[in-house]
Amino acid sequence: MKRFAQVGLLVLAGLGLLHTSLFTDEYLRFVKAGMRPLLIASGVLLIGLGAAEAWPGRRPGGGDAHGHDEDHGPGHGRDRADDHGRAEAHADAHADAQAYGDGGRHEGDGHGHGHGDGRDDGVRVGDGDGGHGHDHSRVPRVAWLLFLPVLSLLFYAPPALGSYTASREPAKVVAVQEDAFDPLPATSPLPITLTEFTQRVQQDRSRAIKGRTVRMTGFVTSADGDGWYLTRIVISCCAADSTTLKVRVYGPAAPKADTWVTVEGTWHPGGALGTSSAEVAVDARGVTKVDKPSNAYMDAVPLAS
Amino acid sequence: MQETEIRPSAVAADGARGAGAGRGLPRHWPLMLLGAAVAPGAVLVLVGRTLEVPAVQAWRTVCLAVTVQALPFLLLGTALSGAINAFVPASVFSRLLPKRAALAVPVAGVAGVVLPGCECASVPVASSLIGRGVTPAAAFAFLLSAPAVNPVVLTATAVAFPGSPEMVLARLVASLVTAAAMGWLWLWLGREEWLRPVVRHSGHRPGHSRWTEFRRGFQHDFLHAGGFLVVGAMAAATFNVAVPRSVLDTFSGSPWLSVLFLAALAIVLAVCSEADAFVAASLSGFSPVARLAFMVVGPMVDLKLIALQAGTFGRAFAVRFSAATAVVAVVCSAVIGGVLL
Repeated sequence: MKRFAQVGLLVLAGLGLLHTSLFTDEYLRFVKAGMRPLLIASGVLLIGLGAAEAWPGRRPGGGDAHGHDEDHGPGHGRDRADDHGRAEAHADAHADAQAYGDGGRHEGDGHGHGHGDGRDDGVRVGDGDGGHGHDHSRVPRVAWLLFLPVLSLLFYAPPALGSYTASREPAKVVAVQEDAFDPLPATSPLPITLTEFTQRVQQDRSRAIKGRTVRMTGFVTSADGDGWYLTRIVISCCAADSTTLKVRVYGPAAPKADTWVTVEGTWHPGGALGTSSAEVAVDARGVTKVDKPSNAYMDAVPLAS
Repeated sequence: MQETEIRPSAVAADGARGAGAGRGLPRHWPLMLLGAAVAPGAVLVLVGRTLEVPAVQAWRTVCLAVTVQALPFLLLGTALSGAINAFVPASVFSRLLPKRAALAVPVAGVAGVVLPGCECASVPVASSLIGRGVTPAAAFAFLLSAPAVNPVVLTATAVAFPGSPEMVLARLVASLVTAAAMGWLWLWLGREEWLRPVVRHSGHRPGHSRWTEFRRGFQHDFLHAGGFLVVGAMAAATFNVAVPRSVLDTFSGSPWLSVLFLAALAIVLAVCSEADAFVAASLSGFSPVARLAFMVVGPMVDLKLIALQAGTFGRAFAVRFSAATAVVAVVCSAVIGGVLL
């Protein structure tokens, strides 16, 4: 990878992280809100690294890996060359393993030139056949792959996980509430999270939820058979570890999948309330569309309307 | 992605120009011109459509999520390993180690705590330790333990498994035991001729700016490891989106198969040790022991490490060493996981 590509990659990566965490809240589609300071710091650091690499006057413009020898006096050229020859040897072992699925085959000294009198130590693993070895990149080609997520963050961020993921995952097993349940507040309709509704239906022996009108917000996932699912995807670290909360909704026809809605209704009788046999479902009386929350991966109570 | 969108138009334009220059304008040149104008747009729309398919969108989200989550940890790890390489002389390590090799092995394993990097960083350091006269057995114990037992990785593990500190402890103990066992195994069975002669490789050199050395090492390690992070994220995302949960269930049902399955998965996925705890946490259908095996095997044996070791120490070494390490790591994590989890 040429020096200007490295500079570009570092600066773009920094900008991408800043874009996603500082200028917008798109990072909430991928990770938890607590990651924000770390992401901003990483973005600043990456831009700083890129700027330091690009700092003019240190080396002739557009130099690449050859620049190491220009950097250091001839007296030290040998030592430096050694280091970087080796660094590159590792690098290309990777790159070749990537390209050919055979890191060990291309043994040779394809990368010795341009590195002073680096000892021919037999450690180098290069592309001895030479056909493609003419960019003496210090950084392996696999680093180019970083451009994909970086550009995607900057220009084409994917949406938060939605009904596609939710429909393929079984409903999350909610944590068992160890203590006795508190009495439910008297407000009606009662704003409640999907987690708490599930706990109340399947674990609350006092059956306080019976007959109560509840309000819950989530997005729509279609279901087999009767009704549809009101769903939330929650994450513990990043979107790779997502789990899905589902409440089956009976009554009104299903809105379009992935629409965010607030549902008002009462528990749909099925199974014994307060035990795990109870169906986590509501008979809906009203379904209203709401805006998608910026932090979609949090099981929050509906906002007051 | 960008290239595939652009290429057809360039080809079409070249074709039109070539034909035009040879025999005057071809008969259907307005059609060709039209095609050249429409084709790139059509390709763009088709590619765009593909990217809007829910499965592809979910894949991209998961892929980016793993990358974004891991990037700050990766930066921290590569910055610290760059700093240690530039500011701490490698001779310190060899002075601190006991003279007897059998004793040096566990000490070197514990010393892995001071290299807060991922596995990509530990291979060059281990190679430099051997170059400085450290017995290879101790250097290999360090190589295996460093990516798994350092504070950055253990912190990431604690973050990924909130409320289960025993998982962090199990990972620490199982990794240290595996590293020490492999060091002793090398003392017992290892042969020097499997190793390629190692050249001198050290951090700071007199007469050079430590700052520049630090910056270069940092930048190189980051770009290097970052590229492999993307590979790992893509593999993890593919696995996450494409494999139906029922397949996982068939493996997660059987305790022994699930341990072997996740150990194999760790080798194939090659997720950086600073991020693998998050992947392990996402494999919620599996037993804690199987997830422990994933986190113990992953930093010690995976596809990118085998390539890295083959490049540094030679293929004869990498194949034998990786195979033995995988077996020892699975056994250690099963035993220690069985006791602690």
